[in-house]
Amino acid sequence: MFSGIIYSIAEGLRGLRRARFSTTVSVFTIFLSLIIIAFFLIVIFNVRFIVLQIQSRMELEAFIDASFSEEQIEILKSQIEDLQGIEQVNYISKEKAAEIFREQVGHDIFEILDENPLPASFQIRLKPEYRSAALAKQVFENILSLDGIDEIIYRHDLLVLLEKYMHIFMLIIASLGGLLALSSIILVSNTIKLVIFSRRKIIEIMKLVGATRGFIRRPYIVEGIFQGFFGGGLAALFVYFVLKIVNIEIPDLILIDQRIYWVLVLLGIIFGFMGSIIALRKFLRY
Amino acid sequence: MIEISNVRAKYPGGEGLDMINLSVKPGEFVYLIGPSGAGKSSVLKLIYMDIFPQSGYVKVDGYNSLTIKKRQIPYLRRRLGIIFQDFKLLTDRTVYDNVAFSLHVTNTRRQEIKRRVLRVLAEVGLSHLRSKMSFELSGGEQQRVAIARALVNEPIILLADEITGNLDPASEEEIVDLLEKINAKGTAILMATHDDRLVRGRNRKIVKIIKGRTL
Ligand SMILES: Nc1ncnc2c1ncn2[C@@H]1O[C@H](COP(=O)(O)OP(=O)(O)OP(=O)(O)O)[C@@H](O)[C@H]1O
Ligand SMILES: [Mg+2]
Repeated sequence: MFSGIIYSIAEGLRGLRRARFSTTVSVFTIFLSLIIIAFFLIVIFNVRFIVLQIQSRMELEAFIDASFSEEQIEILKSQIEDLQGIEQVNYISKEKAAEIFREQVGHDIFEILDENPLPASFQIRLKPEYRSAALAKQVFENILSLDGIDEIIYRHDLLVLLEKYMHIFMLIIASLGGLLALSSIILVSNTIKLVIFSRRKIIEIMKLVGATRGFIRRPYIVEGIFQGFFGGGLAALFVYFVLKIVNIEIPDLILIDQRIYWVLVLLGIIFGFMGSIIALRKFLRY
Repeated sequence: MIEISNVRAKYPGGEGLDMINLSVKPGEFVYLIGPSGAGKSSVLKLIYMDIFPQSGYVKVDGYNSLTIKKRQIPYLRRRLGIIFQDFKLLTDRTVYDNVAFSLHVTNTRRQEIKRRVLRVLAEVGLSHLRSKMSFELSGGEQQRVAIARALVNEPIILLADEITGNLDPASEEEIVDLLEKINAKGTAILMATHDDRLVRGRNRKIVKIIKGRTL
């Protein structure tokens, strides 16, 4: 069993050497597509981060019935806090509202009016997982149905728009990425087909002397995985150095999730594996 | 040990085997004789289960063409030694590596491989050539390498398909003598040939085949 695996790896490497040109081409293709895919991943990661930031700043403002006493407001506050999806509730009293008005407008409200017309309110922040348009709307309606809440200000339309564009954007990026993945897989599979074709004689002899299907196929799978590993590894190195340079030139411009390097290597291996499986299915049925 | 019973096995083109009956008992030496295109190679393919009957059955060493599973076929073939007219050697390897190849493929230990390869090379009289590349040998020598490779798995039978076809009369004689020697040690042999000269003077079981039918 052990000698069998060593044999498979040795034969896989032997095949890579034999089909040097097409191996180089398919490693390079994997490398290129993974660089582009890495670019997509980084863009998605950063856009998502921005969207999350925007979502986290979108607070609900719920105005309280003017006839409510301090005690009733206290109860109302805890009622809201008990609802699903609420992260934090801040009470803004009439006086506090007037103060905020003065800070923002620069004039005292009492210069204009005798009486403070600003209502007391709650500033409500949602839990991150409730910040999507659909769930936020639900929370919104739950709060509004409480006794003592007059009105809620919330930029729901903005959120819907943001999500819509985000979805379209993700869809485009995902299909481009999928296309790239597919072309890498096809190229690997063509390379492996060439190798199999150049070795049809040895394969014929293997079958005659009783090699199992797995034994015959394994070297080609190993070969595909090697191609993917090299392509993915090179892409990971490339992305690492490019990001390093960019971050020196313009710090904090790009956010990166460190797992991206492993993802690239893993994707390379998956491309290589799939490519060889496809080649074997067509060429080495047995 | 080998039994082919009422087999019909046609290729998509309509050529192939019509009615084949043949049996080989342990230790027997059987000649399968017929003109070109009669179906000799196809009969051997039935035995190593490269093709399957449309009717009738083939039994080989406990395996039956009606019930065998695809993944069992390699194990059946390890019980057989198959030799062809064109040798089918690996030209990029030495004599030793060519013979060892069938043991590598079956995951044999290195020590065991060495022991068995050297023994079988001695048996076919090629010990002195073991480090040569296979393409450096004469036709007769190459065919003996192929025989060694077929023997190294200790098969119950050698299937020989027109194996003297590419050889001059002297080498041909040598090869047939070698097969006689191997057979004398107990390995059964089924030898397909169009050349009935080979059988003359040898008292062997003969099966004639014409147009896909055994007589
Ligand atoms: N793979 C195949 N597909 C279609 N027809 C085939 C195939 N192999 C053989 N045949 C046909 O089947 C018939 C028997 O072929 P086979 O090779 O068994 O004959 P043979 O007796 O071995 O001939 P030879 O002495 O020339 O080797 C021939 O007519 C041949 O053309
Ligand atoms: Mg033939």
